[in-house]
Amino acid sequence: MFANFCVDLFVTAATFSNLISSSYFLRIAPGSNFITAMVAAFQSGRDVWREKYIKDLASYLFTLPVPRRLFAASRIAGGVVRSVIATFPGTLVIAYLYGVLFSPLLIEAYLIVGLFSLGIVGLSMAVSAFASSIEVFATARSAIQLYLSFLSTIFYDASVFPTIVQPIVETNPMTWAMNAFRALPGPGSALNSIAILTVPSLAFAALGMICYLWYAKL
Amino acid sequence: MSSSTILAKASSDPTGQVSTSGLVWEMARRDILTLFRTPWIIISRSMAFVIQLFVFAYFISGMVSYPHFFQYYAVGSVVAMVASISFIIGYDIFEEAEEGLLDYLLTLPVSRRQFIIGRALGGAVRSMIYVIPMFVIVAVLEHFANPLSILAAVLDLFLLAFGVTGLSITMAVTVRSANRFDVMLALLDLAVTRISVALYPLTYLPNYVRLIAPYSPVTFASTSVHDALIGTSLNATNLAGLLAFVAIFLVLGATIYFRRLEGGVYG
Repeated sequence: MFANFCVDLFVTAATFSNLISSSYFLRIAPGSNFITAMVAAFQSGRDVWREKYIKDLASYLFTLPVPRRLFAASRIAGGVVRSVIATFPGTLVIAYLYGVLFSPLLIEAYLIVGLFSLGIVGLSMAVSAFASSIEVFATARSAIQLYLSFLSTIFYDASVFPTIVQPIVETNPMTWAMNAFRALPGPGSALNSIAILTVPSLAFAALGMICYLWYAKL
Repeated sequence: MSSSTILAKASSDPTGQVSTSGLVWEMARRDILTLFRTPWIIISRSMAFVIQLFVFAYFISGMVSYPHFFQYYAVGSVVAMVASISFIIGYDIFEEAEEGLLDYLLTLPVSRRQFIIGRALGGAVRSMIYVIPMFVIVAVLEHFANPLSILAAVLDLFLLAFGVTGLSITMAVTVRSANRFDVMLALLDLAVTRISVALYPLTYLPNYVRLIAPYSPVTFASTSVHDALIGTSLNATNLAGLLAFVAIFLVLGATIYFRRLEGGVYG
């Protein structure tokens, strides 16, 4: 994961800074970390899918003496923690680049990564509940990753898109995560942006939980 | 179509004799058909290509200072896609060994040499089948109409596919742990495509990447393809580099695969 992040940041983003401008590197740098978080978060859905179809573990797991809701919530929480751990060094690198490494704002940086991961873990678990084969799961994952990466403000402003597409870009969780991270070193608080990111993240987490519970009943 | 059906068809010659090339082709055909049995892979990769080209490259090309960046990126993305798709054969071979299917395949009346060459050829041909529609989209968009240039570009892409298939097979038969194999192949894919001039011109790469990028097989292929399509000339140096890459990894992959098969690893 970290190697992936390094290639994204020190090869792709560095190349763009040469192609466009040096300030562009800082602009897109958090995107490298969020893409890593997205990949790590999607592993949770893949694990749920594998438990169901490959390892045949799902029926055993549902017999454990844990209430279903608690079990589903803990799966989501576990995915978020895993994603935050996977992006731990990447977040430190970006925090250093943004000058917030040795400030309390570092906690906000991890909070943003955690909230973003929460939404993606929820989405991935929702997909895993409906995907009948690994190919379907991989295709849905790919579509979501494309939406998060290219229909967001990682690389360009929402204003470059046609008017009809702009609402899709502006409501993209990646856009909100990027806005929140970019606001960190600014004069105002990034808490407003973080609060906005919380809404879709909780909504996706709830969706993932509902789908997981629904799938557990089957 | 199952392997046995394919081979039964191959051996249905009335004289009972099947040519070497016929058996190699039947092995290759099995890998090609595998691609069409998993249409979701085709859908997801095509979707990625379309969005990368018509959204990402379109908007970014308006922001960069490099002239005709969209054209550069469009051609390069086809080259990068060929390399990525060619890596898939390694996953197939690794899975077959894990699931025990390889044991069965080895009992088929096909020599080891034909088996190995057939697998590499199948991997390369299916990569080409897969990227041809994308290549056509780019050719139409950028008005590449010279048949000789297109032929030269397709040859470059095929050589790259053949070489990467060899590299992927080498990895699949060298690495024993599934997790390690997944990570290594993903990193290798990332390294050969990103640390190259396929998507971004050499002069704009960071200094530390600029030192390595010229030696990437993807660089050989993309430079050669660019020269053929845009410069309408044959880049002999890069073509030679590409041929050397193919020779090294195809021979290496085949040799290691052969030794593994005969060394008792797969019984």
